Amino acid sequence: MNADQAAEAQVVAENLVKRFGSFVAVDNVSFRIARGEIMGFLGPNGAGKSTIIRVLCGLLRPSAGRAIVAGIDVTRDPEGVRERIGYMSQKFSLYRDLTVEENLKFFGGIYRVPRAELRERMRFAIDMAGLAGREHAIVATLAGGWQQRLALGCAVLHRPPILFLDEPTSGVEPASRRRFWELIHTLAADGVSILVSTHYMDEAEYCDRAALINQGRLIALDSPAALRRTALGGELLLVECDALGPALDALTQAPGVIDCSVFGSALHVLVADAEQGRRELPAFLASRGLSASRVERIAPSLEDVFVQLIAADTTKRREAA
Amino acid sequence: MLARIIPIVVKELIELWRDKWARFRLIVPTILQMLLFGYAATYEVYHVSTAVLDLDHSQESRELIARFTSSDRLHIVKIARSQADIDDAIDRSDAAVALVVHPGFAELLRKGREAPLQVIVDGTNSNTALIALGYVNTIATGFAQDYATDLMERTQGVKGMRQVQVTLEQRPWFNPDLNGRWFFVPGLIGTLTLVIIVNLTAFAIVREREVGTLEQIMVSPIRPAEFILGKTVPFFLVGLGEVALIVAVGVLWFQVPFAGNPLVLLFGTTLYLLSTLALGLLISTLCTTQQQAFSTNFFVLNPFFILSGFSFPISSMPDVLQWLTRINPLRYYLVVIRGTFLKGVGLDVLWPDLTALGVIAAVLMTMSILRFRKTLE
Amino acid sequence: MKLRRVKAIAAKEVLQIWRDPRSLMIALLLPFTQMFLFGYGVNLDLKHIPTCTFDREGSQQSQDLFKRFQASNYFAITRNVDSYGALVAAIDRADCKIAVVVPPDFSERLNDVGTTSVQAILDATDDNTANIAIGYATAVVQGYSSDVQLAWLDRQGETLQQVQPLVVQSRVWFNEDLESRNFIIPGLVAVIMALVGAQLTSLTIAREWERGTMELLISTPVRKSEVMVGKLAPYLVLGWIDAAFCLAMAGLWFGVPFRGTLLTLFVTTTLFLAVVLSIGYLLSVLIPNQAGASQVALLVTMIPTVLLSGYVFPIDQMPWFIQQITYLIYSRYYVTIIKAVFLKGSGIPELALPILFLTIYATAVVVLALRAFRKRLD
Repeated sequence: MNADQAAEAQVVAENLVKRFGSFVAVDNVSFRIARGEIMGFLGPNGAGKSTIIRVLCGLLRPSAGRAIVAGIDVTRDPEGVRERIGYMSQKFSLYRDLTVEENLKFFGGIYRVPRAELRERMRFAIDMAGLAGREHAIVATLAGGWQQRLALGCAVLHRPPILFLDEPTSGVEPASRRRFWELIHTLAADGVSILVSTHYMDEAEYCDRAALINQGRLIALDSPAALRRTALGGELLLVECDALGPALDALTQAPGVIDCSVFGSALHVLVADAEQGRRELPAFLASRGLSASRVERIAPSLEDVFVQLIAADTTKRREAA
Repeated sequence: MLARIIPIVVKELIELWRDKWARFRLIVPTILQMLLFGYAATYEVYHVSTAVLDLDHSQESRELIARFTSSDRLHIVKIARSQADIDDAIDRSDAAVALVVHPGFAELLRKGREAPLQVIVDGTNSNTALIALGYVNTIATGFAQDYATDLMERTQGVKGMRQVQVTLEQRPWFNPDLNGRWFFVPGLIGTLTLVIIVNLTAFAIVREREVGTLEQIMVSPIRPAEFILGKTVPFFLVGLGEVALIVAVGVLWFQVPFAGNPLVLLFGTTLYLLSTLALGLLISTLCTTQQQAFSTNFFVLNPFFILSGFSFPISSMPDVLQWLTRINPLRYYLVVIRGTFLKGVGLDVLWPDLTALGVIAAVLMTMSILRFRKTLE
Repeated sequence: MKLRRVKAIAAKEVLQIWRDPRSLMIALLLPFTQMFLFGYGVNLDLKHIPTCTFDREGSQQSQDLFKRFQASNYFAITRNVDSYGALVAAIDRADCKIAVVVPPDFSERLNDVGTTSVQAILDATDDNTANIAIGYATAVVQGYSSDVQLAWLDRQGETLQQVQPLVVQSRVWFNEDLESRNFIIPGLVAVIMALVGAQLTSLTIAREWERGTMELLISTPVRKSEVMVGKLAPYLVLGWIDAAFCLAMAGLWFGVPFRGTLLTLFVTTTLFLAVVLSIGYLLSVLIPNQAGASQVALLVTMIPTVLLSGYVFPIDQMPWFIQQITYLIYSRYYVTIIKAVFLKGSGIPELALPILFLTIYATAVVVLALRAFRKRLD
């Protein structure tokens, strides 16, 4: 991000810390989100993603550090912040016993969307969610994907410049997930800054930048392409063989191997030099009585990157403790 | 089957025990209510606030008034100077009773004519008004008798003049001091337990329905009977605990005597608890949300309290309502409780009530289990 | 406070109430049925007390005495026993609450010594009934006694003197028939409104927490005061409907005399409803789970209202300490107000003091509720 973009930063977190008793849920996290940028928060369950989002919404008080949303300090003026954000919580939180239209009208009233504009915004939200013709359906009767899109619609009625979406795609089938992300892109194109958290690692590809959170700490923050290129600290080989277990144990000790993990029915082996590995590993395995049917270089996926980073971070902490 | 039930029961009990808030709710409110009921619930009239107006200012009128002032039941709050004072005192509820002696009182007495004592009573609370009037009458009659005797002796001058009189000796049994607490406190065993058990049972099940875990249970291999027992047995034990707690407070704190057989009470208690559990179960089949459970409990429990003889006598109710009390397990349980605590009677007297309790328990349990099984399908 | 947001909250609340017809039904039917039930079941007038007689003499005089008991409205002779054992059994079995025993030497003593006595054995388990029964029985015996004395004096040829020189003339104010109904039923309205009110609002916040909608709501710009007003408004309307039902029933169906004005009734009832609904709301804020909130609501509203509001147990007869506690019971003030408006015809000026207390109460509860409600998760 260059200086101009930074100046336009809609969300700023500076050294955010959140403690619950002696448990540190968010540990010194800092980042910025620019206008129209989609930032993804990735990480395992319990990593602190939701906590960070709740702090930014003013739902939790930071134990230390600052959060500035739309130019307003969240601690000093949480209500001011709330006028300018849209929020989707992790649990589905629309009114299940009300209809689609009633929910929209409710939030339109809460955000005081001018009545003339409200009709149009409601139309927009209904179309966006694909619920045209089902305005009078009770929300409880809708399937998961529709509910999520409706929730998004309710969050954007008042045209907030910033959106916080906490795991909006969890429990939703893949086709709906993709559709949801298309909506997010449309909104971002209009200049809305969007922070999305998810535990689906592959969804990081949809973001402008992705942040990896583990146990409250921010361990990586960059564009997907950059992460794939540089974060791994090595080159990746795909190894297919029959005895996965013994092969895993063996390869972990092989020379030039940085790390090794199971991926599906094969092994992903992180080596310093892929060419060297391709040459030497089959022989190494043979010397242990194992044979490999395939040894190939592959481009690392974000999932590879994340899994590796998290593993490394966890090891580092354990050693430090 | 038993093997599967025991771990369920144990789990429920542990959860209940671990929940500090639930522990609190089961013990503290009970004790609090007992204390409140024990001290506040009373129809006894200990003292009547009285205003007095003597417009005669004679020896006789002063003697009469003196009888009232020296009574420990009447509490003189105002010596009035005029009728307006009296009216005011009653209007403003400063005095519940006002006594007025009009001018010429003593003269009428001496002439051997009827002399009136005017009594004004605030009837807003008719129960206390009646009792207060009773006190006033007793004192007035005493004065009248003594005056008549005195007069006769003086005018007839005959010693040994007999006075013919019939008096009433009162013998209160079971509760010789007419202690109000002895009436209410044992009754609390029935009422408090009813509320707690029905609430616990109904809410526990409806909560699972509202949150969605009931469905999960339906698809598990657990059988309906096991589920029901698993839920009701822990609450039965809780009920026994509550009864023990209330009996303890009643006997130790309020010193209500226990003259009867504890086993009879235990038997009656078991039957009663079964009825309350069944009731909770039945209510849970009617509600899908906890809000409904709350309202329904309320709707159903109030009639049980009123139509039981707990604080309002059944014999004073219209016939229709008296009939309704016959299907109320609390009514019979109260007879058992009061019988074992105060009257000290046993099975030979209480068997009709115990039988009734048993029948009601059996009917309620069957109804509720059948209904519950249907809703689980 | 922005009206638009208040309206949004109120509209949503109304829709939700409408979509839960069962609760709505109960909210409307409940007061009606409770009035009915309490109105007829709650009765302290004692009539037809089951009595049994044990005539150990069997003379004309003893029969005369028993006839008087029979003639009295207060006693209903259910049994004549002929042995002490039978008497004990009758009392044990609750066949009678009072047994009148005439000794075997009743008339003999009367002719001889001049004084004799009659025993009243009472089942004092219910001390109130026993107390009142003693009073009535004493009156019957006294009546008999003075007649006997008159007859005796007559036989002596004495000039008919006034045997009872003193006569008590009593007048009852406000509740001339001394119907317990007239004093219980107005207070009953207070009790029912207190219970209904608590029931209406004490789950409203907890429900949203448990269903998950609260988190989203507090992330919006809506203010605490707007949530409170918006949520309580529909319940105030329900409360008015319920109150109107109950008050109409009290006056028109049960025939309690109404001597006040509708305006006074409206103003004071609205004030009371405000207190009651706010208390339910406060509980809902403090206890974010429905099961807990409902139990506490019942405890905090029902028991104090039934016991300590003065609706049936007179406050001035309670121990001093408890009397002081009743100043904190909000329903106490409304009970006083209602009874006064119905039976005494009091207006707002006469009721200034209880109205003031209720206002203070309402303010305090509202302030507490607003402070307790946090727009945060921690």
